[in-house]
Amino acid sequence: MTDPFGFIDLPVRQVITDIVNWIVATFRDFSRTYISPPVRGVMNGVQWGLSSVPPGAFILATFVLGWWAASWRVGVFSVIAFALIGFMGVWDQMIITLSLVVTAVFFCVLIGLPLGILSSRSDRFYGFMRPVLDIMQTTPPFVYLVPAVMLFSIGNVPGLIATIVFAMPPVIRLTNLGIRHVNPEFIEAAVAFGSTKRQILWKVQFPLAMPTIMAGLNQTIMLALSMVVIAAIIGAGGLGLEVYAGLERLNIGQAFVGGIGIVLLAMVLDRITQGLGEKAPGVRDRD
Amino acid sequence: MIRAENVTKIFGSDPESAIPLLEENKTKEEIRELTGQTVGVNKASFDIQQGEVFAIMGLSGCGKSTLIRCINRIIDPTAGHIFFKHPDRGEVDITQLDEEALRTLRKQNMSMVFQHFALLPHRTVLSNVGYGMEIQGRGRRKRQEAAQRVLDMVGLGPWGRSYPSELSGGMQQRVGLARGLATDAEVLLMDEPFSALDPLIKVDMQQELTRIQRELHRTILFITHDLDEAMRIGDHIAIMEDGKIVQIGSPEQILVNPRTEYVAKFVEHADPTGVITAGTIALPLDSDKFVSAGERDGISYLHRQDLPHVRYGMDREGRLHDVQMDEQDVPVRRLEEVLEDESARPASSERTGLALTCGEDAVLRDILRSRLYSTLPVAVTNGDGRVRGLIDDPELINGILEKRGEIP
Repeated sequence: MTDPFGFIDLPVRQVITDIVNWIVATFRDFSRTYISPPVRGVMNGVQWGLSSVPPGAFILATFVLGWWAASWRVGVFSVIAFALIGFMGVWDQMIITLSLVVTAVFFCVLIGLPLGILSSRSDRFYGFMRPVLDIMQTTPPFVYLVPAVMLFSIGNVPGLIATIVFAMPPVIRLTNLGIRHVNPEFIEAAVAFGSTKRQILWKVQFPLAMPTIMAGLNQTIMLALSMVVIAAIIGAGGLGLEVYAGLERLNIGQAFVGGIGIVLLAMVLDRITQGLGEKAPGVRDRD
Repeated sequence: MIRAENVTKIFGSDPESAIPLLEENKTKEEIRELTGQTVGVNKASFDIQQGEVFAIMGLSGCGKSTLIRCINRIIDPTAGHIFFKHPDRGEVDITQLDEEALRTLRKQNMSMVFQHFALLPHRTVLSNVGYGMEIQGRGRRKRQEAAQRVLDMVGLGPWGRSYPSELSGGMQQRVGLARGLATDAEVLLMDEPFSALDPLIKVDMQQELTRIQRELHRTILFITHDLDEAMRIGDHIAIMEDGKIVQIGSPEQILVNPRTEYVAKFVEHADPTGVITAGTIALPLDSDKFVSAGERDGISYLHRQDLPHVRYGMDREGRLHDVQMDEQDVPVRRLEEVLEDESARPASSERTGLALTCGEDAVLRDILRSRLYSTLPVAVTNGDGRVRGLIDDPELINGILEKRGEIP
C-alpha cells in the first residue's frame, strides 16, 4: 500500500506516441505536398522582397512608417534600432527573422480572421473553438516542434507551421471579442435601415471592431516573434539561430547580439502596430 | 397608413402561455406571478393616418419602445397584426412578412430615429446620412447629392465631412433625423428622439421637426415620455401604461377628458394654453346666460346677462354683423390679425375700443394675449363665419384652471 498508483498504469505515453505516429504516417504526404509549398512560397517571396531593399532605404521606410503610424518618436526609435542591428552585423539574420514573422502573421490573419468572425456569429462554433484555443496557447511551444518536424522535416517551414499554430489564437479571440462587443445600438440602427447580415458585418461590426482586432494582431506578432526564435532549434534561420548557435558553442557574445536584435525588432514592431491600432477606423476621432 | 390590431409582446421562455391570461384581462403583475412571463405590450390597437404625427406617450418601462420596435419588427410581436398601406402593393400585414420582404420594407418604406442617435462613429456625417441609401443600392454620386440636400434641410449643410463625435448632441440628432428622412420612406419611426437633449435644444428640435413635417408630410410615429412634447408635436396621442394603451385622442381631447386616473395625473401638470381651443371653452349662444336685446333692420341683438351694455348683432344666417357698446358701434377685427400688429396695442384703460373674433381652433394662449388689445368678450365663429359663442374672463379662467368643456 505504499504505492497507491501501482495498481493502474495509464499508458498515456504509448497512446500519444501511437496517435502522433498515425498522424504523421497519414498526413505526411498531404502536408508536404499541399501545405509546405504555399508556406515556403510566401516565405521566399517576403524574404526576397525584404532583402532586396537596400538597408538605407529600409531604415528610411521604417522611419516614415513609424512616424505615420504612431509618432515621430517611434520613427526615430526605429532608425536607431535598425541601425544598431546593422552595426552589430546581424542585418541579414534580422531580415530572415522579420520574413518569418511576416509570413507567419500573414497566415495567422488569413486563417484566424475568418475563424474569429465565425466564432462571433455562432455560440456553438465558439464553444468548440474555445478549448482548442486554450490548448493552442497553453501547450509549451517546444511541444509543437516534434510533430512539426515529423510532418514537415526540418528547416524554415516546420518552424513557420509551429509559429502559425502558436501565434494564431489572439487574432481569433480578439476578432470574436471585438465583433461581439460592438454596441447593439449601432446594429439596431443598421437593421432598421434594412441591412443584411453581411452588410452589418462589413459596414458596421468589422470597422467598429477594428481597434480590438488590431490589438489581437499586435499580440500575434509578438507571439510569432517569440516562436520563430524557438524555431531555430528545428532549423529555422535568423536571429534565433544566432542565439541558439551562440549558446551551443558557449559564445555568449554571439548569443547576446542575437538576443538584442530580437528585442529591438520586437519593440519596433510593437510600437508600430499599436500605433496602427489607434488609427483604426472604429476609434476615428479627428480632434 | 399604419393600423395596429391587438399588438402584443410578451418576453420570457414561453410567451404563448400568457396570451390566454391577457384575454382574461389579468394585469401584468398577475401574469408575472402565474407564468413568469413579462408583458411588454398588451393588445395595443391604433390607426395612424397618412401625413400625421402620432405620438405615443408613457413612462419608462410602459412598453412604448417595445411597441415602436414591433412596427418594423426589430422586435417580433407575440400576437396581433400590423397593417401598412403600401404605396404600390396595397395593404400589407407586416407581421406576416418574411425576412426578405421585411428588409425591403425597412429599406424603402420605414426608417427610424433613435434616442441615443446611433450614428456610426467611423463614418462622416454625410456618409451616415447616406447609409440608408447605400443599403437601397443607390450610386455613390446620387447618394452624396441627396444626403447633402437633406443635410441642408436640417441646417447642417457645411458639416458633411465632420465625424459624429465632433458634433454636439443636438447636431448629432439632426444628423439622425436627416438619415431617417434621406431614404424617402413614407413612415418615420422616432424613438424618444429628443429625450437625450438639453431642454432648450429640445424645444428647438421640436420646432425644426414641425417645420420639416409641414414641408414633407411624412407619417411619423413619435415616442416620448414628455406629455408637453407629445402635445406640441402630435396630431394624435396615445397614452400607454403598463404595456396598455389607455387613451387615444387629439391633444385637446386628452387634456379635457382624461379617461383614467393615470392620464389625469399626467394632464394635471401639462400646459393647457397651447392645446385648449376657443371652441371648447366658449360660452355657447344657446346658453341661458344670453339675453335677447331685440331686433333692428333684420339684425338680432343679444348680450350676456352680466354685461348688458355690450351687444352683439347677428344677421339671419347667424354671422356677426356688428358689436355695440353703450349703443355705439365698436370696430371688429380678427384676433390673428391683431396679434401680429404690435402698433394696434392700446393703452390699458382703452381696451374697450375694439371687439375681436376668432375661429374655433384658436388656442387659449392667443386668446389670453388678445386681452392686451381688447377686454370685450371674443366672438368665436365656426368655418362658415357663424357665431358659436363668446369668451370672456370666466371662460378663460375656467379654461386654464379646470380645463373644463365639451369636445364636439
